[in-house]
Amino acid sequence: MSETKRIYLQPWPIRIWHWINASGIIILILSGAQIRFPETLSIFTSYKSAIEVHNTAGIIVSISFSFWFFYYKMVKNTLDKLYIPDEEDIKHGLVRQLLYYCFWYFLGRPSPYHATPDHKFNPMQKSAYLAVMFVLMPLVGLTGILLLNVTPLRVLILMWGGIKFIVALHFLLACSLLAFLCTHVYLATLGDYIKPMLIGWEEVEEHEDVEAAPEVVIPGYRPVRHYPEYERELLEQRHS
Amino acid sequence: MKPADLQKMSLLAKLALCAWALAGIIAQANAWGFSYGDQTGNNQACLSCHGKTGNVPKGTFIDPQRFTQTAHANLGCEACHATVPVNHPDGTKVPKADCRDCHSGISEEYAKGLHASKTNCNGCHNPHLVQNPKDVSGQEINMICSNCHNSLEMTAKHGEWLPQSELHLRMLPCITCHTGAKDYYISMYIVKSKGDSRFGKQEVAEYAELKAMADGRPIVSLIDTNRDNYVSLEELRVFNRTQKSLRLYGMMTPSTVSHKFEILDSRRNCSFCHTSGSGLMQTSFIAVPEENGTFLRVPVEKGAVLDALYAAPDFYMMGSTKNTRLNSIGLAVICCGLIMPVGHGFVRFLTRKNRKQKEHQS
Repeated sequence: MSETKRIYLQPWPIRIWHWINASGIIILILSGAQIRFPETLSIFTSYKSAIEVHNTAGIIVSISFSFWFFYYKMVKNTLDKLYIPDEEDIKHGLVRQLLYYCFWYFLGRPSPYHATPDHKFNPMQKSAYLAVMFVLMPLVGLTGILLLNVTPLRVLILMWGGIKFIVALHFLLACSLLAFLCTHVYLATLGDYIKPMLIGWEEVEEHEDVEAAPEVVIPGYRPVRHYPEYERELLEQRHS
Repeated sequence: MKPADLQKMSLLAKLALCAWALAGIIAQANAWGFSYGDQTGNNQACLSCHGKTGNVPKGTFIDPQRFTQTAHANLGCEACHATVPVNHPDGTKVPKADCRDCHSGISEEYAKGLHASKTNCNGCHNPHLVQNPKDVSGQEINMICSNCHNSLEMTAKHGEWLPQSELHLRMLPCITCHTGAKDYYISMYIVKSKGDSRFGKQEVAEYAELKAMADGRPIVSLIDTNRDNYVSLEELRVFNRTQKSLRLYGMMTPSTVSHKFEILDSRRNCSFCHTSGSGLMQTSFIAVPEENGTFLRVPVEKGAVLDALYAAPDFYMMGSTKNTRLNSIGLAVICCGLIMPVGHGFVRFLTRKNRKQKEHQS
């Protein structure tokens, strides 16, 4: 027996932040490409427009990033829990999720991880978001702020290794963000991830006899938290 | 002239010849007694008084060292001050030549520009100091402009439309944008941090410092290592890589300076400068300071010289100075991000039946 249950996964402030961030990053990538390759690209008509759009989008994304940090850290106080992988994630979760993406998914098996408001991300998501939100985004933002104020922040730029180094770092970080964006968008299509980010709610099937599931271990496919489908499989095997 | 020819001349012609000879004798006598210049650039008679600050009224002092570097010095003082009274200095004003007498073309050009109603030639150029633009640095050219145009006001005014206006005004001669020159070249100066501090302001390196660093050799040998009076792009790159305290700064300078000062809308188009490999970036010189305060221009290999300047740690010109190797690394990083969507997506497409079967079963 199973019934559909609605979970409020993405609160409205996070949904607004996410889409501002997403559109901002896309605009930054396009305008940044024109700034670097003005002889081949003219997406935002003039070079000056590209610079102005890039600067404005950069400021908006930086503010939006600060808001994200403030919301999760100060308001919800779930930043560490959501984004920092725990021991179980590192020991088993990462490998299990990787196996799922590389093998189980193609065999039609369900994901070993199911999102809840307190555990929104699977171990691979956690690791990737940890790198993106705690390393890439702050660094690309900081280098961008330095490049936006070359004269007033000249000493800081020299302390960081000079303008050429800052530009190279900013460019490579932006390329890494674009690489992440490609993977992020693709992985969003693997499960039901886009709808909750639009409306906030996720619909999940909940099984009544999950609690009665016997502790049977299948080699290479261990039970994990928030994985009702797995328990259902175990029950089916037991009954057959 | 033969005596027979003299006899044949009319009385009027004889009189004219006598007058001409007399005038020559008077002029020669005047030169012996009080020379206004000797057309050799020394002008010692005038400078013996006007070259010493205490001897002459303020405003008539002429710095002998700087004056001798000007083209005017070669003409001699009398070229402009021809009718100095014989009993000078007696308090009477010494007449000055009109710049238009020699520079009529420039004068006509200047009259069409924005400055014409504001000031005359002397407003910008002191005739006793004026030098050819190629003999001075871009920063020195800007110092002339800043005599009237307050730099803070100009930064604020340009900042209304120009991003990072302070940086632009510091790195470009004003005449690059405010005159309608057709051709430009990149003039590179050797700069050094003030006080040898890593964070010090970059200033054009002085002759004495560079001479000491060159260790007896010509200064240009710091860059032109094979001493062929021609700097290759590779020599530029090597200089940028090996020199720790010296840097090269590039300034886009008009090849022919126009005196028609104007506000040109075309210069508001950022890609006028910020495009790699544009025609404007192909010709360049290195301005090496000389002992007399001028600059020796050493030609640099044609090509997108700003690419070579990219090796200088403190020099970056958006859109123009790019490292192609870095572009390749960036592309490789982006391709890594496509491995998952492309590779996984392909296998996902091939195994779509597996998932459908499972969905039907459940």
